[in-house]
This record gives sequence, structure tokens and C-alpha cells, in this order.
Amino acid sequence: MSLMRALAIGGFVVAIALFCAVEVAARREGSKIPRLGDVCAYVMRYEVGRLPVGRIGVFGLWWWMGWHFLAR
Amino acid sequence: MSFPGPTGASDNRGMDQSREITVEVPRAWDRPIVTMPVLVFLSLVGGQLPSFSTRANLYTISLGGAMIWLGLSNRLPRRPTVTPGRGTIWWLIPVAVFGVFEGSTFLLGSTPEFPTFSKLADPLLEDELVRSAVYLGWLSAFWGLVRR
Repeated sequence: MSLMRALAIGGFVVAIALFCAVEVAARREGSKIPRLGDVCAYVMRYEVGRLPVGRIGVFGLWWWMGWHFLAR
Repeated sequence: MSFPGPTGASDNRGMDQSREITVEVPRAWDRPIVTMPVLVFLSLVGGQLPSFSTRANLYTISLGGAMIWLGLSNRLPRRPTVTPGRGTIWWLIPVAVFGVFEGSTFLLGSTPEFPTFSKLADPLLEDELVRSAVYLGWLSAFWGLVRR
């Protein structure tokens, strides 16, 4: 395995570990950090007029991720 | 379920009737013991469909489309939301680390020497059990988002 490949794998592993660490910290009693679900829910509340832009954006992103990883 | 006030009552017209305070009647099927087996079944079916196939494309697009339809149609009760405080900034750290590596590997062409995340995931997702597990994670998170 080359150094660059190890660097890429290590970077993604660190990123995933950080996601998990922040979520664990958010779930502690009295934590000031919101859970990832709460952050997503807040973004999904964003509307322009009566158009739920936040919901459409978050749903669209998650839909695309599923298609990207699982269908192609 | 929301209860209409008495006809002609006008003393609470100025109140903000947000959906966060609306009490919903739980549906009999809307419980993890019912929804999880359905999601597991859909995931096991999805895990059998090979990447790049027409069936996999149609299946993923159909499931995602159904979830989005449910999420936008106000047919399901939603969990109450909270306004996150300054602690939200901690989420920028993992997002930034992931963004730096995904962006740099993408801009350098996603070669086997310096692959993007999806290129690294492709060999793992060839295994049907792993595909089903990832499908379950994707669908469960989608279901969670629909309920938000």
C-alpha cells in the first residue's frame, strides 16, 4: 500500500471516528452539543415562503447518497 | 390530533399554532416493532441487487422517492424539534476533515493511489451482506429524517 493510499484511508477513518465521537459527546447528560439528528431537523425547518427548502435539500442529499453508493 | 376551539371564540387568535405543539395520535403500525422488520426486508432485497444494474437503480430511486413523498406530504407525525445552540460548531470538525479528504481525492482524479470515499467503499459493497447492512442504515436514517 502506497503512502498516499494509506493517507486517504487514514483521513476517512479519522473523519468517521470524529463523527462518532461528536455524536457520543452530544448524547451525554447535559451536553451543549446537539445530536446530529437535531442539527438535521433544524436545517429541515428552513423554508422560503411556503416551500420547505430545507426538507427538500436534506431529503435530496440523502436520496443521492443512497443511489450513489448502492445503485452505481 | 388538534381540537378546534368553540365557535366564535377569538381570545387566542394571536397565538402561534405551531405544529411542534400539536399532539398526534400514534398509529398502530407506527412502531419500531412494525417498521423495523419492513426496513430489514427492503434492505435484504436491495442487498441482492448488483451495483450498476437497472434493477438496483430503479429500486433505490423508488424507495427514495417514496420516502421523500412521505416526508413532504405531512402524512406522518413528526418529532418535536429543538433549536441547536453554539455547540453545533463541533460538528464542523468531522465535516471539515471529511470534506478536505473527499475534495482532494476527487480533484486529483480518484485514482487507486488516492481514492475517494465511494471508490474505497465499492469493493466492500460487492458483498451482499454488507450491501444489505448499508441499505438498512440508509433506509433507517431516511425513515428518521422523514419523521423529523
